[in-house]
Amino acid sequence: MKYMIMMFGGIGASTQNRSPEWVDGMHELLMKLDTELKESGECVASDSLADPSQAKTIRFVDNAPVPTDGPFAEVKESLAGYWVVEVDEERALEIASQVVGYTEYPMEVRRIMEHSAQP
Amino acid sequence: MTGAQSRVVTGQHRIEALLREFAPQVLAALIRRYGQFDACEDAMQEALLAATLQWPGEGVPERPRSWLLAVASRALVDAFRADSARRRREAAAALDPTDCAPAADLAVHRTAGLTGADGDDTLALLFLCCHPALSPPSQLALTLRAAGGLTTAQIAAAFLVPEATIAKRIVRAKQRIRDTGARFELPAQPQRTERLGVVLHVLYLIFNEGYTTSSGPALQRTDLTAEAIRLTRLLHRLLPGEAEVAGLLALMLLTNARRAARTDTDGRIVPLADQQRDLWDTAAIAEGQAILTRTLGTGPVGPYQLQAAIAALHDEAATAEATDWPQILALYDVLTTVAPGPVVTLSRAVALAHVHGPRAALALLGTLDTDERMAHNHRLEAVRAHLLEQAGDTIAARDSYFRAAKMTASLPEQRYLELRVAQLHHPAATNPIEWNVST
Repeated sequence: MKYMIMMFGGIGASTQNRSPEWVDGMHELLMKLDTELKESGECVASDSLADPSQAKTIRFVDNAPVPTDGPFAEVKESLAGYWVVEVDEERALEIASQVVGYTEYPMEVRRIMEHSAQP
Repeated sequence: MTGAQSRVVTGQHRIEALLREFAPQVLAALIRRYGQFDACEDAMQEALLAATLQWPGEGVPERPRSWLLAVASRALVDAFRADSARRRREAAAALDPTDCAPAADLAVHRTAGLTGADGDDTLALLFLCCHPALSPPSQLALTLRAAGGLTTAQIAAAFLVPEATIAKRIVRAKQRIRDTGARFELPAQPQRTERLGVVLHVLYLIFNEGYTTSSGPALQRTDLTAEAIRLTRLLHRLLPGEAEVAGLLALMLLTNARRAARTDTDGRIVPLADQQRDLWDTAAIAEGQAILTRTLGTGPVGPYQLQAAIAALHDEAATAEATDWPQILALYDVLTTVAPGPVVTLSRAVALAHVHGPRAALALLGTLDTDERMAHNHRLEAVRAHLLEQAGDTIAARDSYFRAAKMTASLPEQRYLELRVAQLHHPAATNPIEWNVST
């Protein structure tokens, strides 16, 4: 089974007013976990997204698609990065819990749909 | 690792080096004989693959170039046969059983194929791969595969994209070359100088992609820097009189010499001023300096020679404090005249700060605020942040670091910038760090 583990928030959303040691520790944790998941073969894909302030939104206005600057949703609800892992649900929840245990910031775990019919 | 294993690994390295050296020559020979760059390029890749599979076990053939040419020719004929009856007739006519003349082959091997017609062929191949009708990502991929002899999988790994993406990019690039009717030949002057500029730019982009990744967790991808240096070295041997080719090679060597000191063991960026200078590669620095000394004054001074001269001044300083900033500033002044642009202005501001103080540099940065080309450039904000910090304006510095962290698409850079924000929030933990843009 594949799960997408999603992190939210732009730069500063979870790090505001944290100490340098805390910020450093967070990066350390994320990099270590990423390496572990890749080395164990559990990680199918992972990416971090550039800050949402750099985003563009395309809206359908007057019968035409029009790009505008920035997402207008709350930054703290904006996708910041994800892992796609091929594990059971228990393990997916455990991976996400490792990060949330440090950042105290919520993460979402979603099952990825299969392209083939289930047996 | 056991002795036997290490021998095998060394053997594979040797084979890989050999294949990359022969790849452009074999491809050029195929194109001369059969035309059709795209089909020839596919056939050459097949031959390289066959060699990678067979040579480690069976040993390197006595005449490796002939071997590759024969296997590629067979692959090409097979492709032609599978294609159409018309193509089959062409191939049969073109296929001469006395295919690989051994004498010529040995001569080529001895001179590493860098003289006369073979040298021109390699050059023509580089010009074709860097055809102006192609997009830069396509130019990069095609140059690495056709002239560099890398496989699609290796290129994909270097650029951190799926193999299918690179494969499609290469197919489209070759299609585009066919559509434009580009010929396999050296362009005549004055186009030749202009086209050489594109080739140099492509090699520079490959180097930069390897040296500072534009995205992703690893700050450096050594394979790409090594490949860029190898191809530029080849180009320099083919065109020893071109001062900018020499300048680019010197720039790459003098910059890459600092690679080991650029990140710490945890993968954090170490700014130039804080680097452990005894980790710098003295042999590479010496080679870069020698090339530069030989070159300066022999031709028109171009941006690559000037940037190499600046890199050399950094490399020559035993400590950060010993850096000859007035001389660096003077070189940036010349660079501003020869090749003006916002990135040059940004680098010049750093030199200006060292010679005339942070306020003068901040004023210069102000001229970039209205420049569209710098609108989303995190380096402008990062340099500004550093200068504000130097000027003692902690709050404005923190805001600038924060903005820069939001703008960058590089994880190591983001990590560094976020850390600076946190340090300025907690002044007790602050230690001044040099932000360097000239690397």
